This record gives sequence, C-alpha cells and structure tokens, in this order.
Amino acid sequence: MTQMTFQEAVVAAIVEEMDRDPTVFNMGQDIGPIYMGAMHSAKGLSEKYGADRIIDTPISETAMTGAGIGAAICGMRPIVQIMFAEFLGMTITPLACEASAMWYKSDGQISVPLVIRVLCGAGPHRGHAEDYIGIVSSVPGIKVVMPSCPADAKGLMTAAIRDNNPVIFFEHMGIYHGPRQEVPGEAVAIPLGKADVKREGADVTIVATGMMVQRAQRAADKLAAEGTSVEIIDPRTIVPLDIETVLASVRKTRRLVVVTESWRTGDPLSDMVSRVAEELGAEGPLPIARVALQDTARPFALPLTRASMPDLKDIIDAVHKVTKVQK
Amino acid sequence: MKPDENLKVALYQNLVKARELEEQMTKLAGFHAGVGEEAVVVGAFFGLKDGEYCAPHYRGALTAAHMRGADLHRLIASVMGKATSYTRGRVRGDICLPFQFRTLGMFSGVLGNPMNIATGMALASKQRGDGTAVVTSFGEGTSNIGGFHEALNLAACLSLPIVYVCQNNGYAMSTRSDYSIKTGSVADRAVGYGIPGIEVDGNDVIAVFEAVQTALERARAGQGPTLIDARTYRLSGHYTGDNNHYQPSEEREAWIARDPVARLRADLAASGIMDEARMDEIRSAAHAEVAAAIAAAQADPEADLSALGPDDLYCPDDAERASA
Repeated sequence: MTQMTFQEAVVAAIVEEMDRDPTVFNMGQDIGPIYMGAMHSAKGLSEKYGADRIIDTPISETAMTGAGIGAAICGMRPIVQIMFAEFLGMTITPLACEASAMWYKSDGQISVPLVIRVLCGAGPHRGHAEDYIGIVSSVPGIKVVMPSCPADAKGLMTAAIRDNNPVIFFEHMGIYHGPRQEVPGEAVAIPLGKADVKREGADVTIVATGMMVQRAQRAADKLAAEGTSVEIIDPRTIVPLDIETVLASVRKTRRLVVVTESWRTGDPLSDMVSRVAEELGAEGPLPIARVALQDTARPFALPLTRASMPDLKDIIDAVHKVTKVQK
Repeated sequence: MKPDENLKVALYQNLVKARELEEQMTKLAGFHAGVGEEAVVVGAFFGLKDGEYCAPHYRGALTAAHMRGADLHRLIASVMGKATSYTRGRVRGDICLPFQFRTLGMFSGVLGNPMNIATGMALASKQRGDGTAVVTSFGEGTSNIGGFHEALNLAACLSLPIVYVCQNNGYAMSTRSDYSIKTGSVADRAVGYGIPGIEVDGNDVIAVFEAVQTALERARAGQGPTLIDARTYRLSGHYTGDNNHYQPSEEREAWIARDPVARLRADLAASGIMDEARMDEIRSAAHAEVAAAIAAAQADPEADLSALGPDDLYCPDDAERASA
C-alpha cells in the first residue's frame, strides 16, 4: 500500500497499464511535457513515455474522440483527455452516435476499448464545473465512471483501460488534490458496475456520487449524534449501475436519499430512483428524497455556486424528511 | 505508376459492376444510389493492400466493400435488413459495412464521423509502424462539417498516413456546392491545413486511381495526409424517390456526356485492350450477377428476433471473451 491523492492515483493506474500493455496511449490538449495536463492530470507521463505515447493535440475534441475510436477499433487502447466534462458536447457525434453503437450494431464485429478522461465539478478554479453526465449516461453502450476517492480512482481507471467498451471517466476537481489515501501499490482493477457501501447503517440509505460522498459522510456523522444510522452507497459506476446493491440496502432501511452534483432533471440517478420504486414500492411506505443541483445554468459567484449545490444542511434536511415518515 | 492493361481490365470489371449495382439498387426503397459517381469509388478503393483499412462514403459503399471481399448477396441482404445480413439486421447495410473486410461504415446517420474515425485508424497504423495507410471518402457536403476541418488539421499535425477523397458530386441533397463552398474547390481547403490538395477528374477512373495511389505511397512513407477532390456528378437521386428536379437539364446532359463507364470503354477500345463485344460480355455478366444477388437477397428470410439482443449492450472483457 502507498499514499496518494486522487490525481496521483489516476496517473499511477495509467502508468501501470502503459507498462503492461504497449497498445495503451494518451492523446489530449496540453498533456505533453510543458503543461502535463490541466491540473497536472498527466503529470510525469510524457517524461516517462515520450511524444509517441503521450500525444499533444490541437483543440479538436470531435477529431480527438473520433481518432480515439478509430485507433481503438484497430487494436489500440487509447486514453483521450477531453480536459473538462464541459467539452463533452463536442464529442457527442463520434461518441454517442458511433462508438456507443458499434458493438451492438456490428453484431459483435467491433469493440471500442476507449477511455475518455474529463475533469468536472465545482473545484478550486471556479470554472468548467458542468459535467453533462445526464446526456452521456442516457445513451446505451457508453460506460460512465465517477470515483469519489483515490483508492477507487486507481482501481476504476485500471478497469476502465482494460474494458472493451467506451468509458467516460469523470475526475472531480473538488477532490483532485485532496488528502492522500491508502491505495494498492500494484494494479488491482475494481470491476465497473460494482457499487461500494461506504458506510453501513440501518435507518436511511444515502446514494451519493463524486464529491457528494464526502459530504454525505459528514452528514452521517452529525445524524449519528442524533441517533440516526445512515448507510452510504457510492455506485462508483453510474452506467452500468449496480442496482442490486442499492436495492439490498433500501430493502433494509426502507428510506432513500439521493445526493448528486447533477441537475435534478435528467440526473441519471433519478432513473435509479424509479427502479427502486418499481421494485420495492409495493411492499409498504418508501419515503424518498433527492438533493441535487438547482435546475439552472451553474452560477459563477462563490456564494451563488455554493447555494446552488447540495450542502451539509440540504442533506441532513432530506434525511429528516424521510425519517419523519413512520415505517 | 501507370496502370497496365490487366489493371485497366480489372478497373473496367469493377466499374461496370458498380454501375449495375447502383442502377439496380436504386429501384429499391430508400437506397442512396450513386449512378455517375462509380469511378471515384472504384478508383479510390481498388488496390488497397490486404492489411489496410478504409472508410468509404455511404454513396458507393457496397462497391467498396465488395472490392475488399464482401459477398454481394449478403451486402444486398444487409441493405434489406434480412436475416442473412452481415449483422443479422442490426444496422442498415447501405451505409454501414462489415468491418471484417477492414471497411468502416456509418453507425449513425451523422456525416463526418467516419472520416474522424478513419483518422484514428491511421493513427493506429502510425502507432504500430507497419507502413499501412488508410483511405476514406466523403461527399463535398461533409467538407462543411466542423469534424472535417478538425480531422484534416489533426492528421496534418500528427503526419498521419491517410488519404481523404472527396467524392464531389456538386450536390448535398439539393444544396449546390457553388452555394455552400466558397473556395470553389474542396482541394483548395487543404491549404488551410498545410497538406497537398489535389483536384482530379472524378469521372476518369484511371485518373482517380493514380491520384489515390500516389497519395497512398506518400502516406505509407510517413509523409502525411493528402486531400483529393474528385469532381463527379450524381445522376441518380439523393435516395430512391428523389427525382433530381433541382439539377438543370443542360448540366445533366453535359455530365452524361462525360459518363465514366463510356469513357473507360472508349479508352479500352482505342488502345486495343478489349473490343466492344468483350466489354459487352463483361457488362452482361455483371448485370446478371447483381440481378441474381438482389433476387437471392429478396428471397431471404426477414430478420429473426433472436438478433434483438437486449443483453448484448457491451463487449465482454478479455477473460470472458476467451472463455466464451
């Protein structure tokens, strides 16, 4: 085991796979030796692997994504850095219209082992927070990963690179250079589509993603002092979603709170909520609350940014709302 | 490289089969035929090496795939969505080709994507360092899409082994290229990326073939991409049912006079390579072969619901694939 930040863990996973597999290469804007990627997202890679495997590109997200797909279907395992999730809009035609469909439509002739890396979320630089995760999650055939801590980031990146499908890997800027955490010193893949129970509890299930997992933990500490026992589930992979782990928890607690930094409308976890209701709703009361971004464009000024996002009080209020209901 | 006699005969055989395919297929519903444009398709995709990949324009795609080894009957069954299609009916076969022949098609109706993906296929060639190159073609309408400019610029920056062939028929559906492309020539756009831009007579199959081969040699030698603007004309509609009402009749007549099949026949006859009777024989054989393939595909069963595959969303991982 060794101690790493989120950013260090992601880069470490890439290094391990590049050492293991010569078909892995990286392509992106400013990932070369001069800049090493936005927020040091490619730190040390160019020095170690050179310009043939760490390819600097012009600002051309559509062509970078298309080229990643083309290289992937010809036997390579590209990692394309689109820098910020805000730019995913420009990748939609190659990614959502072509790559997502290739395995199914080709009847298994074409696989697309491609990783798209994007930074997202409210972070230190107060820009590029939009993640558009609802858009990309609604297209069948793309896997969507959003780790909440360094250990998960490392294992999930290992799995994403080894996966034979297009994977969008969201790296939250608010936790990117946060505290170091114990991570495995060697490559250990965390399977995509497997949730993690971050905290066990009996009274309420909170499903949270990305930076909201930490926030849910702090809320759970406060709620524990009131005598409320919170279970926290981090799906880690938004698509495919580990619905079984969520159902098992809600079957036990019969109360669900969902906390995400996505717009409330079209949040991919709202589909999870309807699945929970379909599966468990007939068995008795099932109070549900959702805490999400307000449904407007993301505001800039810090007080507005903060107020538009789920905070500790919002999460605690939501838990109070569902615990008020008698089982 | 000058085409020898055998090569000219082979180009003729492919050209008349392409003509038969376009003419006979355009009678089927919803087909995007390219009658008149066959010389660009044959010239661009004839003679690729076995290990090389290509991404043809949807107009003429069947001919390109057939030249790479795909079976005519199954290609046509794929257009009809029959059970015998290359994907059991999962994708429309007029625009999307079987990848096992190293031919990439469109997995959506969005233009510009295949040329971006082909650019990545060329990147894979460069990464492997195996000296292969990629040919992709597209209509002149697609040269107005942002992805076109990004792809050519990226290919130029990375010096990728790829040949971009614009199958320039002068019309994007009904929109004339003199309205939508103010440089006049698509080849002139190459200046913006610092790569060679070459105009070629797209109704002269030998000229297209030579231009593409020269660009391929350059690409295989690591000297980067080339943009070829092959000028041709669409005599059929944009799709079955489009009656070309937007094409002036004198313009059509002028292009009919430059018909690529007639021109190659004249060349072959004048140079004494084949006489008219032999060329007619080849044409008749192509006519019968295409007609038989269409009839066979029409008699094939409709797509079977076993191909629906609701759980077939993702490619399994390598271990699962190995044990499957």
